[in-house]
Amino acid sequence: MEKKLNLNRRSFLKAAGAAAMVGTTGLLEIPKQAWAGEGKLATLIDLTKCNGCKDRERPACVSACKKIKAGRIPEPADPIPLPFPTNKIEDWSKKKEVFNRLTPYNLIFVQKAEADIGGQKKTVFIPRRCMHCDKPACATICPFAANHKFENGAVVIDQEVCFGGAKCKTVCPWEIPQRQSGVGVYLKVLPTLMGNGVMYKCDLCSDLLKENKTPACIEACPQKAMSIGPRKEILAKAEEIAKSIGGSLYGKEENDGTSTLYVSPVPFELLNASVKKGPGQPGLASVKRRMKGTDTIGKAVLAAPALGIAAGLAGAFAFISKRKDKSGKKEE
Amino acid sequence: MSEQILTEKNRVVRHGWIELAGHWTIALSGLLLLLSGMFELPMAARYKITAIPGFGWSGDFIISLYVHYVASVVFIAAAFFHLAYHGLLRDQGLLPRKGDLKASIDVVKSFFGFGEEPPFDKYLPEQRLAYLGTAVIIGVLVLTGLIKTYKNVYAPDLSHAVVFWATTLHNLFFVLFILVFVGHIGAILLKPNRPMVRGIFTGKVRLDYAQHRHPLWLSGIEPPTRPPEKRPEADILATATVSAPPAEVGVDAAGDPAEGTIETAKEK
Repeated sequence: MEKKLNLNRRSFLKAAGAAAMVGTTGLLEIPKQAWAGEGKLATLIDLTKCNGCKDRERPACVSACKKIKAGRIPEPADPIPLPFPTNKIEDWSKKKEVFNRLTPYNLIFVQKAEADIGGQKKTVFIPRRCMHCDKPACATICPFAANHKFENGAVVIDQEVCFGGAKCKTVCPWEIPQRQSGVGVYLKVLPTLMGNGVMYKCDLCSDLLKENKTPACIEACPQKAMSIGPRKEILAKAEEIAKSIGGSLYGKEENDGTSTLYVSPVPFELLNASVKKGPGQPGLASVKRRMKGTDTIGKAVLAAPALGIAAGLAGAFAFISKRKDKSGKKEE
Repeated sequence: MSEQILTEKNRVVRHGWIELAGHWTIALSGLLLLLSGMFELPMAARYKITAIPGFGWSGDFIISLYVHYVASVVFIAAAFFHLAYHGLLRDQGLLPRKGDLKASIDVVKSFFGFGEEPPFDKYLPEQRLAYLGTAVIIGVLVLTGLIKTYKNVYAPDLSHAVVFWATTLHNLFFVLFILVFVGHIGAILLKPNRPMVRGIFTGKVRLDYAQHRHPLWLSGIEPPTRPPEKRPEADILATATVSAPPAEVGVDAAGDPAEGTIETAKEK
């Protein structure tokens, strides 16, 4: 159920005007191909600019993504093996054209939030895809290291290694990765007992980044609402825009930081309340990193060898000293 | 270490409390690691393990990680304690010796009625080989586990090659660890090995069993000390335990000789 946003007309106009000014002064003009896929990257998604490509059948970013990723997923096995004992598969191969949510064939979609600004209805469009978290649980606890965060910040699933167990989706606060059953390495192992396909999500067009090219969605955006660049610069720009429009950021603090920064003149709690949420349609709530709680005990694990050695040496020296005492007493 | 012949009780102290504590710490934390490690695979919810009373947590990967980490602290600390403690004291009884492989084959054959067991030291040759194998498996698991933990805590963007190989080896050696565990339990189910089970719970094994199977070990243990007036008799018994063939002894309902029956048998 979409909710109306109550924004003051004056504040909205002020924010939009500031954003326009920032845009024209070149704050968002990040030099293309300046990052060479090296160093930490980040993307900026400026919601004051995205208009959802209303004049098109579907948003340009979505079309560009679909085009560049077309043919990446092999044809699923026919029939798709039914996993024991659940017998549940996820087959999107007959619904490849779906673009109003995330699917294995649709790695980015555009959400819509409506706001009532001083009696006037306003619409905010929000391109959604993987946030490429700084400390992504989906990658760090993937049981086969099929999902990995690279130095440039991109979190990438290797579809040749993934078993489709969907653990990454379970631990992702936005449940971004989507499964296609009937494809992948699990078919060659124990298809009914282990695995259930391959998980798919945005990989920040890592192949293009390696070639010093811009991710397809960013390149295709007619509004130049998305940009990518060195993380520090992007963060600084995002904060500057947010400050200048009196808006807010999303992705900087969420899940202990991400490589995707949204700037919006509308508070994200209001956007979150408005957007349609469900499977493949993540919300915009403020999320905590659940794995953070395990860091302390993780550090204890790393200290355990030193602890064991210290205790072992102390115990051995105590034993030797006791033995000496005993033999000394015997001699007496 | 604390090895001692307790002739009157028909027992030999095989393990001190440090060894017992070390064994059980490794065993129990290792079992918990196996369990929580399995729950790090997406299987608990799929196979309805979460529906088993007390296992509701098994489907939550973060909770399983907490459990895995806690068990890891205990397991790794115990493993390194073992290395440092026994390394410094130069306890080498469990290290493989030349000829252990051939001797192990002979022992396994004897389990199936082919040939006789040779006389053993404190540990059987296959125990020494298994120890080395288990140590290697644990070593790889610990090393790869530490790399994975470091990645989780400090460096999620650690080199993919390092993470991939650490993860793959961790998974492979996890399977080997399960096989070692099954083999370990399987070994103590074999009839000739059963008397050793008592040893790992109480630290002591039956003296008549040790006389029969581990004469080389007994020959290296200091003879039991007694009060001056009983010394001559004790010395005779201690000598008998090392050199004499196993005495006929009385047995209890479980097939174990009752405590003190050695002396009774000898008096006959």
